[in-house]
Amino acid sequence: MPNNFALGNGKPWSRRQLLQLGLAGAGVTGAAGLWQMLNLQSKSTVKVPPLNIEAPDDATNPMKMLRDFDYGTVKQENGRTIREFQLTAGTSIIKLNSAVSYNIWDLNGRIPGPTLRAKQGDRIRVLFLNNAGHSHSLHFHGVHPAEMDGVRPISNGSATIYEFDAEPYGVHLYHCHIEPVTRHIAKGLYGMFIIDPPTPRPPADEIVLVMGGYDVNDDSHNDYYAFNGLPHYYMHHPIGIYKDQLIRLYVLNIIEYDPAVTFHLHANFFDVYRYGMTMTPSEKADVITMGVAERHILEFAFRYPGKYMFHPHQDAIAENGCMGQFEVLAEKNSQNPVKHS
Amino acid sequence: MIKLRYICLAAAATLIVTLSSCSSTPTAENPSAPVASPPATEAVSNNSHSGHSSKEKININTAILSELDKFEGKLGVPALSNKIQANRPYGSPEDLVTKKVITQEQFDQIKDQVGVQEVVLTGEAKDVDYMSKLGLMKGHLLVARELLDQNQPKQAEPHIGHPVEEIYVDVEDQLNERKVKEFKTTLVSLQDLVKSSPKDSKVKTSFTSSVQAVDGAIAALPEAQRSKPGFTLQVINELLDSANSEYRAAIADGKITAPIEYQDSRGFVFYANELYKGISSQVAQADPEAHKAIDTSFAELIKVWPAAIPPAKAVKTPNDVTKLVKTIEENSQKVVDKSNTQAQR
Repeated sequence: MPNNFALGNGKPWSRRQLLQLGLAGAGVTGAAGLWQMLNLQSKSTVKVPPLNIEAPDDATNPMKMLRDFDYGTVKQENGRTIREFQLTAGTSIIKLNSAVSYNIWDLNGRIPGPTLRAKQGDRIRVLFLNNAGHSHSLHFHGVHPAEMDGVRPISNGSATIYEFDAEPYGVHLYHCHIEPVTRHIAKGLYGMFIIDPPTPRPPADEIVLVMGGYDVNDDSHNDYYAFNGLPHYYMHHPIGIYKDQLIRLYVLNIIEYDPAVTFHLHANFFDVYRYGMTMTPSEKADVITMGVAERHILEFAFRYPGKYMFHPHQDAIAENGCMGQFEVLAEKNSQNPVKHS
Repeated sequence: MIKLRYICLAAAATLIVTLSSCSSTPTAENPSAPVASPPATEAVSNNSHSGHSSKEKININTAILSELDKFEGKLGVPALSNKIQANRPYGSPEDLVTKKVITQEQFDQIKDQVGVQEVVLTGEAKDVDYMSKLGLMKGHLLVARELLDQNQPKQAEPHIGHPVEEIYVDVEDQLNERKVKEFKTTLVSLQDLVKSSPKDSKVKTSFTSSVQAVDGAIAALPEAQRSKPGFTLQVINELLDSANSEYRAAIADGKITAPIEYQDSRGFVFYANELYKGISSQVAQADPEAHKAIDTSFAELIKVWPAAIPPAKAVKTPNDVTKLVKTIEENSQKVVDKSNTQAQR
């Protein structure tokens, strides 16, 4: 579900809206509801350009995936808050370019799978259904008991339930863990899993970028690369952001077969929050090296309008699709200059 | 301006805390919309999830169709088994109601028998599951054999690997109780061999012992059971279901772009066909019409995989294959139902 509705208007909330929320909040359980509301409130100060999202016609929709977070369904059981997610593995076809179609395994009809988002300490329940032929599974990064580790194959047509506590906070991921894991991941069974810290991070325009690779002829060598599923997409459709707006990038490298890639941002430096597991940055950089499954939070703001590329500095990988650009827009009434990197 | 907002926020927050402390109604959060209105369907407390399941329960997330038939029979809802299967996954038994598969009243009649927890399969369901897993292994090995014979060890290798990587763990626990010797070592050494020295003469003997091992595991099921149409048809449909998904994963724009999945589906369909040949005369006797439909569909299906090395163009679309598979499933179900009613008499 896109969050753009809450982010889009950029107007502070009216007293009336807040009261409505308060009344509707009768059913919302204290802490979790309050946290969500604080998040909403803080996000309402964030400026996000309106998105021109084309109607999704297949499993790829990079523009929609940028700011799309799945918070699951919240249930109460035995006095505990359970955050329930549903993930179904299926099969679909994507067009890597005008000439090449490729069969992927998708999660909930998309590649990468939904960006799941919870708060530290939530009880997570993931209902996983496998409709993708081979046996598959979901293995979550994080801390949990062995039986919830998601390495047991779930056969075609059957479902299973993974349940564990969301800890520790950070940017994590989930993926299929059936051998050959390289192939099961590279064909699409992965997604980002964000656990928010107990105290929310400062307001920012939050963007998800997942780097993936495609081995179209099964020779254990990638032929194409992409941010959020589709090669070169953000080169042709730059990601709009506002000048001086704090951007919080959640970046994951899930490129199989290449041992490591970097992430490089043009004409700027970013603050690095390694694995998203701290509230203070460890360093400032314009290139950061990421091994397979490494992921970080990168924060920055652009001072000057214009288009700025981002890509791995393994240029061959960039040239084969893992490349995009931000389009920094000058805002008319910019009243909240946040931070210059 | 900002100050005023924080005051409002604080007031609203207090209101929420106050109200929620005297209300225990659970609800759903919807962070994308500023107004959190609880959908009625979520206002159900699902305490059963953590409850212990009794022996009688059927796991609606994993049960095969004939197991789900118990609910279909009890509630008298046609095609309920397929509907339950189509609406997976379920987080709790009550999801049958929230997902509108059945009504609350119907649910009340069966709720004691419904579970979502991993259950230990028993009786026929357990045997069908066991046999289906071994059937998938047979399918993989069948197509691996063809590829080895055509001197394509690289293409054969994944089909030798899949039985171990995807399936073995599911039958492993049962081997002891069924008095079957472990055969993981056998499968793994064959894989090692094909990977590292595919031209070695040992490949042939290693392959033979792998096939024998799987056959031996199948033979742990009594012959009488394996020759029963009601039993074997369930296995056949499990195999065809996987084959159907694999075939869909192999085709893009009418071309076979993923040979591994094409070959997997070939192996499963061919082995399913082999199994059907063993029971076809009995099916023909019990239900001639069902037999005719199954027989014709199999003949059509087989044509989709003319060789182990995929043709340039797909013979049939995934939708056409799905249709044939569904026809076999529906007609099988009639035979399975009949044999179940007979067994109850």
